Amino acid sequence: MPAGRHKSRSMRRVYTKLPGNKVVIHYKKRKPSKAECAVCGAPLHGVPRERPYKMQNMAKTKKRPSRPYGGVLCSKCMRAKLKEKVENV
Amino acid sequence: MFEIGRLCLKIAGRDAGLKCIVIDKLNDNYVLIDGQTRRRKCNVKHLEPLDNVLKVKKGINHEDVVKELKKQGIEVKEKVKRSKKAMPKIEEKPAIKKEIEKKEEKLKLKKERLVKLKKKKVVKKAEAEPKKTPAKKAKAKPKAKKTT
Repeated sequence: MPAGRHKSRSMRRVYTKLPGNKVVIHYKKRKPSKAECAVCGAPLHGVPRERPYKMQNMAKTKKRPSRPYGGVLCSKCMRAKLKEKVENV
Repeated sequence: MFEIGRLCLKIAGRDAGLKCIVIDKLNDNYVLIDGQTRRRKCNVKHLEPLDNVLKVKKGINHEDVVKELKKQGIEVKEKVKRSKKAMPKIEEKPAIKKEIEKKEEKLKLKKERLVKLKKKKVVKKAEAEPKKTPAKKAKAKPKAKKTT
């Protein structure tokens, strides 16, 4: 039986195998939602889906693509925006 | 569309948003570019052609490309490589200078101690040796007689 505080599904259940071949359940906090494009809402590639304590230890280059608007806009929207900028100038 | 000298905007990759010139045409899909971007081959799909076409020779140098772009009012920022020369000198940082002086003093003291220890060992050996040497000679001589 799970403990009372673990009965709700707010925590995710991770099944881990112990050295004695016994399977136990570890309760962990859920991951945040996927990063989305600010314009079209498409999921962003190259942006990890981790909790802040893991993101803190990651290098900046591993957290977003190294291009203008990387981690904010998807590549399609970024191209459109750059073209728009040039046309306006 | 992408003839030599065509001014373009790079719209993909880490150089996106930078302007460049087509230097050479490699095939239908690929061209060689240079300018604000790195000098490299590039897919035509990753370029947005602009209105201007500069009068430029095929395979022009990077320096000449910079000059041509400057005439159009486009400045090229050269990336400075990180080197030891660019780092601030040790003399300019007093804290580091003090640390180095301390380390040097410690090394000097260590060397002096080692020299003293060596001297002591040499003196001890010199005291011990004269007693041993005659005994060895005495042992060596009778051996030679036995062999003959």
